[in-house]
Amino acid sequence: MSFGAPYFTLPEFTYHKPKTLKEALELLDTYRDEAKVMAGGVGLVAFMKERLISPSHVIDIKEIPELKRVEYREGAGLKIGAAVTLSELENNEIIKKKYTALYQAIKKAADPIIRNRATLVGNICEALPWVDGPIPLIAYNAKVEVMSLNDVRLIPVSDFIKGPVEIDLAPNEIATFIHVPDPPPESKSTFLKFNTGSEFALATMAAHVVGSVKPKEVYLVYGAVSTKPVRASEAERIILTSENIKEAIVEAATKASQEIDVVSDVLASEDYRRHLIKVLTINALKSIFEVS
Amino acid sequence: MGRLITLTVNGIRRSVEVKDNELLLDVLRDKLKVKSVKAACWRGECGLCTVILNGKLVKSCLVLAVEVDGSEILTVEGLAKDGELAPIQKAFIQHGALQCGFCTPAFVLASHKLLEENPTPSEDEIKERLSGLICRCGTYYEIIEAIKDASKYYQLGRKPR
Repeated sequence: MSFGAPYFTLPEFTYHKPKTLKEALELLDTYRDEAKVMAGGVGLVAFMKERLISPSHVIDIKEIPELKRVEYREGAGLKIGAAVTLSELENNEIIKKKYTALYQAIKKAADPIIRNRATLVGNICEALPWVDGPIPLIAYNAKVEVMSLNDVRLIPVSDFIKGPVEIDLAPNEIATFIHVPDPPPESKSTFLKFNTGSEFALATMAAHVVGSVKPKEVYLVYGAVSTKPVRASEAERIILTSENIKEAIVEAATKASQEIDVVSDVLASEDYRRHLIKVLTINALKSIFEVS
Repeated sequence: MGRLITLTVNGIRRSVEVKDNELLLDVLRDKLKVKSVKAACWRGECGLCTVILNGKLVKSCLVLAVEVDGSEILTVEGLAKDGELAPIQKAFIQHGALQCGFCTPAFVLASHKLLEENPTPSEDEIKERLSGLICRCGTYYEIIEAIKDASKYYQLGRKPR
């Protein structure tokens, strides 16, 4: 992640390492706009080096016990703390078994050494258009838990990310947990990433289908193609109402490539990205519905 | 104004005064004189500043020095035992798995860690696990051969020669 040559140093700030969530929230409530919360620090340190942000206070939440936990309860789903690293999630058996798209996205995120520090919550708070974390989460209807000293909010990931580097988080709030609902037994999902020849993905997608014989719920979510993650709702409807799934897959992929707002940039033109959306959609749905 | 932190670097406890905005990379190189940790891209892409922090590989250009107070750090200087190189180091030499050598400490550390966790990695696993490191000379082929070769020593519970 970079927007140009970085400085070799960081701006001056005071470092805080609270031991409890309450202490962290109190610090943040005191310093508000002057403070930034750090978990893995991967994004924050890079942003500070480039002077995109220069907080006077950095609040490190890495050692707060409840934020270091991943919990799974049948029926309720996953609860992932803000200090849980991507490596820890990658080695979580439940995620591997039940949340295929999330597992695949984590395996393809950055590199294994970065994943030892980077967190899923940090990935979402960074809200760069090409990050992988939010895409499968939106496909599972995941929510972000946001806390301040006297309030707790639950926000769908799709609403939490408002635009590039723009999130629904007040200066006195910390994104503390991600809640991912328990996928029904007949649920299947996959995540695909196209980044050949580039550090950045040119297009990613997560597909999640509940009921692969007669689809009851369909989520088609795309990343790196627009200014924020986007769903292809018309394409989803084509799959939901399909009589012949083989034909519907091609029809839905074509629709998805047309209905989404797509950006053109130095990495790929709008036309190329639309082509990638179509190809990824066909590949993802074919693997989910097991058709050739 | 700084604060005093204490680290165990390659088995030796060391105290050092750091500023809150100092990077672990700079503290290791400039204050503790651990020069195998290389500074190159400064933004977590090349991986040549990689160290083992409390048992995990991390890129030290993205870590604050103040965060790691009380931690254990292993760099390539700490791999040799009683003056004898670790099997992965010997394998790098035997296979000529370097040209300029600038990336070698990071590759040796990451390879060592990989083999410790999985003594029989497939070629795909090796490539995946080393994907965060860049060798500008392009000695990747020799590095992979060296890891495959060193693999047998790690299977035998690290008894080289």
